[in-house]
Amino acid sequence: MPDTPSTPADPGSPAVEVRAVGKKYPKVEALKGIDLTVGRGEMFALLGPNGAGKTTLFSILATLRAPTSGSARVMGRDVVTERDAIRREMGIVFQEPAIEQRLSGRDNLFLMGLLYGHTVSGARKRATEILAQLGISDSADRLARELSGGQRRRLELARALVTDPKILFLDEATLGLDVDARRVFWGQIRGLADAGRTVFFTTHYMEEAEVADRIALIDSGRIVALGTPSELKARVGGGVVTLRTDDDATARAWLGEHGFAPAEGGQAITLVHADPAAVLPELLRGLPVRVLRAEVHAPSLEDVFLKLTGRALEPGQKP
Amino acid sequence: MMRAIFAIVTLDLKRFWLDRARLIAGLIQPLLYLFVLGAGIGGSMRMGGGDYRRFIFPGTMALSLLFSATFAAITIVFDRQIGFFKAVLVAPVPRSAIALGKIFAGALQALAQGLILLPFAPLAGASLNLVQGLEFVGAMALAALTFSTIGVGFACRFTSTTVFPIVSNAVLLPMFFLSGGLYPLTAAPRWMQVAAHFDPVAYAVDLMRGAVLGVYFFPVPLSLAALALTIVLLVWASVRVFNRGEDDSSLGASKFNWRR
Repeated sequence: MPDTPSTPADPGSPAVEVRAVGKKYPKVEALKGIDLTVGRGEMFALLGPNGAGKTTLFSILATLRAPTSGSARVMGRDVVTERDAIRREMGIVFQEPAIEQRLSGRDNLFLMGLLYGHTVSGARKRATEILAQLGISDSADRLARELSGGQRRRLELARALVTDPKILFLDEATLGLDVDARRVFWGQIRGLADAGRTVFFTTHYMEEAEVADRIALIDSGRIVALGTPSELKARVGGGVVTLRTDDDATARAWLGEHGFAPAEGGQAITLVHADPAAVLPELLRGLPVRVLRAEVHAPSLEDVFLKLTGRALEPGQKP
Repeated sequence: MMRAIFAIVTLDLKRFWLDRARLIAGLIQPLLYLFVLGAGIGGSMRMGGGDYRRFIFPGTMALSLLFSATFAAITIVFDRQIGFFKAVLVAPVPRSAIALGKIFAGALQALAQGLILLPFAPLAGASLNLVQGLEFVGAMALAALTFSTIGVGFACRFTSTTVFPIVSNAVLLPMFFLSGGLYPLTAAPRWMQVAAHFDPVAYAVDLMRGAVLGVYFFPVPLSLAALALTIVLLVWASVRVFNRGEDDSSLGASKFNWRR
């Protein structure tokens, strides 16, 4: 599709503006009317379980798929008709590696620079700059496949930053990284956001979403909640009681009969309550099973998701 | 646009260089034709006004160019699935630049393969003087470009590499056998002569053979025009497929659904 000649986009427009976006595949309806606005300079997380529609929405914003209904704008430009204009202003880190494993990091960045219209010397210079900026100059001349997982992810980030993008898209960017490597990675992303870049990322790790300014919880193609991490947690109200018993099935049945609504799934019984500290003694007295362990804690994003959808966020927590 | 094409070509040539062992492996097939088939058949008959090996040298060159260009084009199928190409797809690069980059890169790889085969010409009795040599290399370059557009024209329609052997047997080999690469078209049955007029490989072989023997089957302008037409048509067709891929990030191939 030919790109319309780029007219200057309104600099005051939001970084991301999604209006009633739907996406139907031949067999499934992946998105069922999404509305979303992300301000410039904001760090925004799209959090949801696998198959919730995260990657579909992400692909639409990153100009890789067209929506079947509704409209989406990135940096004030339409994702379908002004694709190339958006592509010039965005950087993207995919879930899967998008570097040539058999070339060095420097070569990868050099080629990316050329693709974005740098001259040969300009692309070389930019590669050197960005390698230094991300602290991976030392390993720049090693083949990408010889790098550690964390280094490779940072190289992916470097590739996305070659063009000095105004908006950075990250799709499950830390999949498979260990905790330390993730911390380093998100530290760098936070730094980029603080320097004024808009960051839009998807994740299904709630602790990753916590670094965002705002979070959208997505489930079955719909946004089920939107707000800052603390706003979202406040929606749960009160706190959470977690119980481990010698007979969870009986405990759940008893709880159901006595007007409590324990969340489905999970290795333990979790119960959202307005005043968990007050209700705990009552539970311990009344439950017809032996309670092995009882905890009361402030709600996490996981609890928010549980409360809103009745299901666990991370598949590993299902029974 | 030019820089994007340059970037795609550079990427492919860098990867090609990593696989340079392929250059040697790619020599085996044409050398077998030239020195085993050539010696065997050449020993039993004399044809083409000279030694048989000299006669089929341009044909084996065409074979080498055809297969290495097509092999280079097949990387499109891998590219779609893995690696750097995902990032290329979200760069502000017209899809046509990707198509053209792949075509040029394939042509250069085929030409490199051909230039390695070229020093065997004297061994096959096809010694070339400077003018003949330049004419031959020029014909090689045009043939490499044509075959690369043929390769990309096919490769861009597939999402799986398992079809490649089928394409190679069903399309490339018939094109080669019809081309007159291994026998003189003048002595071929009428229907083969007619069919050869629709075979780009035949024109490429004829141009190269003309440089060696000084005798052409087709008029030279016809050969040039036929190859140019092939290039233009297939570039147009490939660019169309690549452009169609805008909405599904598969460079258009998924619209065909030829997954096997």
